[in-house]
Amino acid sequence: MKASQARQKKGPFAWFLIILCAVFLCVMLLLPLIYILITAFRDGLEAYLEAVTDEYALKAVSLTLRVTVISVVVNTLFGLAAAWCITFFRFHGKKVISTFIDLPVTISPVIAGLIYVLLFGRQSVLYPFLQNHGIKIVYAVPGIVLATIFVTFPFISRELIPVLTAKGTDEEEAAALFGAGTWTIFRRVTFPHIKWALLYGVVLCTARAMGEFGAVSVLSGHLRGKTNTVPLYVELLYQGYDFTGAFAIASLLVVMALIVLVLRSVVEYKGNKSDDSLK
Amino acid sequence: MNETTENYVELRHIEKSFGKFHASKDINFQIPSGHLAALLGPSGSGKTTILRMIAGLEQPDSGEILLNGKVVNKVPGSQRGIGFVFQNYALFRYMTVYDNIAFGLRVKKAGRTEIDARVKELLKLIDCEGLEKRYPSQLSGGQRQRVAFARALAPRPQLLLLDEPFAAIDAKVRLELRTWLRDMINRLGITSIFVTHDQSEAIEVSDQIILTNQGRVEQIGSPQELYDNPATPFVAQFIGQSIPVEEYTQFRFFRDEGPESVAILRPEFIRVFKKGEQQQYSTSAEEGTVEDIIFRGSSIEVRVRIHGVLLSAVRSVTDQPVEIGETVNVFIHRMYIINGETITLQENQSLRSESIVI
Amino acid sequence: MGLTRRKSIIPGFGLSFGIMITILSIIVLIPLASLVIYTAQISWADFVATVTRRRVLASYYVSFLTALIAALINAVMGLALAWVLVRYEFPGKRILDGIIELPFALPTAVAGIALTHLTVSTGWVGSLFARFGIDIAYTRTGITVALVFIGIPFVVRSVQPVLEKIDVQYEEAAAILGAGRVRTFWRVIFPELFPALLSGFTLAFARGIGEYGSVVFIAGNTPYETEIAPLMIMSELQEYDYVSATSIALVMLAIAFLILLVNAILQGVVSRRTKGRD
Repeated sequence: MKASQARQKKGPFAWFLIILCAVFLCVMLLLPLIYILITAFRDGLEAYLEAVTDEYALKAVSLTLRVTVISVVVNTLFGLAAAWCITFFRFHGKKVISTFIDLPVTISPVIAGLIYVLLFGRQSVLYPFLQNHGIKIVYAVPGIVLATIFVTFPFISRELIPVLTAKGTDEEEAAALFGAGTWTIFRRVTFPHIKWALLYGVVLCTARAMGEFGAVSVLSGHLRGKTNTVPLYVELLYQGYDFTGAFAIASLLVVMALIVLVLRSVVEYKGNKSDDSLK
Repeated sequence: MNETTENYVELRHIEKSFGKFHASKDINFQIPSGHLAALLGPSGSGKTTILRMIAGLEQPDSGEILLNGKVVNKVPGSQRGIGFVFQNYALFRYMTVYDNIAFGLRVKKAGRTEIDARVKELLKLIDCEGLEKRYPSQLSGGQRQRVAFARALAPRPQLLLLDEPFAAIDAKVRLELRTWLRDMINRLGITSIFVTHDQSEAIEVSDQIILTNQGRVEQIGSPQELYDNPATPFVAQFIGQSIPVEEYTQFRFFRDEGPESVAILRPEFIRVFKKGEQQQYSTSAEEGTVEDIIFRGSSIEVRVRIHGVLLSAVRSVTDQPVEIGETVNVFIHRMYIINGETITLQENQSLRSESIVI
Repeated sequence: MGLTRRKSIIPGFGLSFGIMITILSIIVLIPLASLVIYTAQISWADFVATVTRRRVLASYYVSFLTALIAALINAVMGLALAWVLVRYEFPGKRILDGIIELPFALPTAVAGIALTHLTVSTGWVGSLFARFGIDIAYTRTGITVALVFIGIPFVVRSVQPVLEKIDVQYEEAAAILGAGRVRTFWRVIFPELFPALLSGFTLAFARGIGEYGSVVFIAGNTPYETEIAPLMIMSELQEYDYVSATSIALVMLAIAFLILLVNAILQGVVSRRTKGRD
């Protein structure tokens, strides 16, 4: 089918559409990328290196990495458990649970931040308890972690559930009939089916976790070197009119985004290939 | 080893619903040790549900399942000593043939040499030696089915359950596999139950048929019994090729069984003779017109219109050929008469009085 | 929400259900409950007073309007992109396909500052438009541009798989029956794509209403003109006015739920259609 389409002669309308789309994507997507990279280096390599090796920049990178790792680990654990539970079992309340799992992506990041402020902030009933035990959540790292997990919450389960649903439950049932336990079934039977979808979910989750701005902004408190993640640090530099610095740090995030896109393509390609080989 | 009781499988008053759908209604049956039983019925009749409950893949709402004389309702499926062959085989797609067959033994922590010996033995049994390194996607449909069979047998189950074992195979290989499976099960002597919606499959392969319809068991018996003595109108219509005829009293020598009654005729109940052909029952035959002739390979199906009703009959290929439009003599030996929920077999009444012409 | 279940032979229900519910509770259920509890403490009069403040109403209007326009632009461009990517072969196609998801991968704040700098009256793009007297950055146009950027992948990725499934033979059949190309598109293909298109549109629309990171830099945040609703929540929070912040958020949540509901219904339609196809 593909080949026959390719052989079709393209009329002027087709070329018009292709050019329109190419221009649209170049202006909307590629131009901002190029602009960031050029601006980052406009004061020379030295200024760039100085900006990205700044003490506070490195601290922001380190914080972002820690937050990202925690978020990805929690969401992976959740995604696997939710996918297992939702696809292999019938139970009441499944639809309600699925709705709640997908809810975070439709909620504004600022509102996501707000709900944690309401839960743990100073007007909360929990606040005296947290205060007495010296636990800081709002305007501290735990708040940033919670907010990041929230905004990336369904990313992994949403990739896994359709794959498992399409696959069906009979291989797992067959394994269970032989008396295999949860771990054996997961490792030997289920995991090979979902590994590419899982990796894809992890990639998406990583990207979003590193780049989250709104929700983290609400909960951060913006303490330089303590609770500033990379995107917040970019904002800080930008508002201080240090545009070279802001774009230099931003270029790190651009590189990350490009890596994510390449990984995405690779994972998708490998996933499709392994699907095809099983047909 | 437990002493084997006479009936290996027994179901008592099984009820099962999925939400509002009543899948099993008071299911009762027994299957003797070593028998190959078929759970036969149209789709949605609840036959797969019964199989899955025996395997422990579903739980009955009430009633008892007995295996080897013991109630196993609370025993997990993995400890019931069963082998299960899934409809689409459910082979582990990311494992080789060897690993698929070895899986059940590995889970039971069998020794390496024991596993190896058993897998080799089974590969030989299913005639798939040399395929152990292949993945399921690299096998033909028939090979997949045989590997699924070997995988189920590996841990030496006492009961083998097969869900529509031939459904996913193309017609030509299916006939071969039927015979193969029947021979294999007979050789191993293992009690087996298979689910099918294809009556010819059930009739050919099984010792015993459990015919289900709308969640109920309609009849249990050998293929011959179901064929000769259908217990309900449903059985009569489901087994064999049946032609319902409402106004059967217009045929001579059949008694009227009441205004609501309907007759079921089968091709093998009807004989078609050429005019002038040497025949039995010449005086009680009726005239009909040939409307269609279908060559079936080993036989010829003749469609005859008689009293406005189109009937099918079978003639041998070695008989003198008939032609479309030809007037022929038709003799109906017997018919099933359905009257509400009862079914009776009525013989042609002329058979009693008429002397047989040789 | 009862937890009775039908028994399955597959093990691990307790474990997976436990992990799922624990994490779901900590991350989503308990925080949302705290929102509900806090809302119950707000008096109706306070709530109404907050959400009907002129400045707040203006921010809803700005968010809604810009998100709607951006989603409409994305619906048209997304359909065109999906069509081009599925139906035509041309050099650079793989790259175009690959960068569609850039807005998912690029942090919103980074996109925000880059778009702002490009579209200010002295910027690369802004200076072109400035000649015609059009300002982009710090206007509602600027907000719309940022939301178009954010929403590009939604429509494309929603329409693309459906378009791939529509058999070309199906169109050829329509053509043989004498339908022209334009007619074939509107009568045969468009009805098939419509549910996916609408669902991508709603997703982009919902995302646009709540978007903060990419918009806040380009908006200029002039009260009544370019102040978006999420920014209103943000500034109330910075003044520790939780009652106002929560009230504004509740209205936004109500809108989001409505969009979610519409989307869920449409997703059902889409999945029924694709299932019927296989």
